[in-house]
Amino acid sequence: MRAFLAGFGIEMRLIRAAPDALIPLVTTPLFALIFLAIVRESGRPDLQPDALMAPVLMTLWWIALQNAGNMITGDRWQALLEPLLATPASLASVLLGRIVALTCLGLVSFFEVWAIGELVYGVAIPFEHPLPLVLTLLATALATAGVSVAFAAVFVLTRNAYTFTNSLSYPLYLLGGVLVPVAILPGWMQPVSSAIFMSWSADLLRASLKPPSIDDLWQRLGTVVLLGAISFLIGRAILFHVMQRMRAKGELAAA
Amino acid sequence: MDTPAVEVEEISRVFEPRKKPPVVALEGVSLSIPTSEIHGLLGPNGAGKTTLVKILSTVLLPTSGRARVLGHDVVEETRAVRPLIGIVFGGERGLYWRLTGRQNLEYWGALYKLSARDTKARTQRLIERVGLAERADERVETYSRGMKQRLHLARGLVGDAKVLFLDEPTTGMDPLAAREFRTLIAELRNEGRTILLATHDMVEAETVCDRVTLIDRGRVVATESPRTLGQVISRFQRIDVEGVDRPVLDEIRALGGVSSVTEADGGARIEIDEEGATSVVLGRLVDAGATSVKTSLPSLEEVYVQLIGDRGLEI
Repeated sequence: MRAFLAGFGIEMRLIRAAPDALIPLVTTPLFALIFLAIVRESGRPDLQPDALMAPVLMTLWWIALQNAGNMITGDRWQALLEPLLATPASLASVLLGRIVALTCLGLVSFFEVWAIGELVYGVAIPFEHPLPLVLTLLATALATAGVSVAFAAVFVLTRNAYTFTNSLSYPLYLLGGVLVPVAILPGWMQPVSSAIFMSWSADLLRASLKPPSIDDLWQRLGTVVLLGAISFLIGRAILFHVMQRMRAKGELAAA
Repeated sequence: MDTPAVEVEEISRVFEPRKKPPVVALEGVSLSIPTSEIHGLLGPNGAGKTTLVKILSTVLLPTSGRARVLGHDVVEETRAVRPLIGIVFGGERGLYWRLTGRQNLEYWGALYKLSARDTKARTQRLIERVGLAERADERVETYSRGMKQRLHLARGLVGDAKVLFLDEPTTGMDPLAAREFRTLIAELRNEGRTILLATHDMVEAETVCDRVTLIDRGRVVATESPRTLGQVISRFQRIDVEGVDRPVLDEIRALGGVSSVTEADGGARIEIDEEGATSVVLGRLVDAGATSVKTSLPSLEEVYVQLIGDRGLEI
């Protein structure tokens, strides 16, 4: 827990010193405007809440993956990785803390889309089920961080994490049902989607903005958290093996 | 008998870079350092000092051999070793430049699982101890190189390490700061900590170390106290001379303790390898009317060559 908090704290301080990690927040209102324009032009005002939630999920994912991809590599280039590994702290816990800090800040995107909807189109977010909405956003932030630890571990093995972070985002937006619900995707895609935490998050977010009661709320929330936790554990195992490999090859320090 | 602070048994490390031949960084290195000793690891760049420090710090695996810190194996028992050690690598990297010195230390303190209150208190003590109190709340990017080195040292101490590994810690420090640093190292030893100081600075090693291990090309050349080592090195003096005739040089060549006489550019270099021979040679050169005579000690690397050439690796 101390390692997690250390990671959370240092990331918050790094962002305050240089907020460039939060660049995706600049694009959130733009995506919100595009999606709102599309559904309004299509004569589907009922989809406006969906159009507002999609940029929130995209921003969370983008912030987490983009920064996680470069976290270990960046520390390695700054000669911070070796001293970090030589401490008693768990590297995976430090990473998780750092990424959770980013995803928590990424939740600012929710307020951005709220404001842009109101100011530009006069569209309010319908808070039909506020508690499930808040819980879903928090669970999504945690799960996103957990999955990002797994990706961070894998990215260490690549020479260019940027390429992977860019190309991995779009399949996830599609399979995660970020804008288009998984239920209307081709049938063969749906089993794949159900293994992706974001598809559960996206469905829950949309459901919490609509009047009908939410079925199986706790189970669905639990699935989001569970998938994130499983990803984190897989990431931790990968990270351990990657670090062992780097210790064996002498690659923890950049030249 | 007390458990040694550091025990190295026949450690070897071979790096295998892609598309290049393997590089032997360490070859059969053995070493034992008792607790509360300042032990110098002295050698030229590329000698294997950093490789050994990294293996002992658990961030690099040896190819063969074993090493233990306070009785714990650095490969098998990393969880037990890591809370006991602190590392200070030289250079300006290894810190978050956009954060303040205090923020950096608080982060590293938290990684040693200190409570928030303990972290803050220890950070403040260390900041004062390394003389950064006035600049502690300024960004590291505004620090001089010497200040960054002092912050590195504070980082190495934040976990209250029993064994400290310092790799070229005074790089970039001005002479005054380096002297204060050496005083601090001695204080740390008096607190019961063991310090392994890797350096290529002979003066630094002589000033602070209880014992010194000479390392070259991945092999231990000698482990001695600095005084003994200094005596070994002082035997290998050399004399550069101008303005003497060849017959005089031939006569000197035949003297005991003269290992070689090399003539070049109107002068000659005389190598001495026996204690007491220098004064005899100097006397003869003055008698012969030499116009210029200069004595100097050979570089550490040259001493290595002498030692290895004369006595193999048995020292």
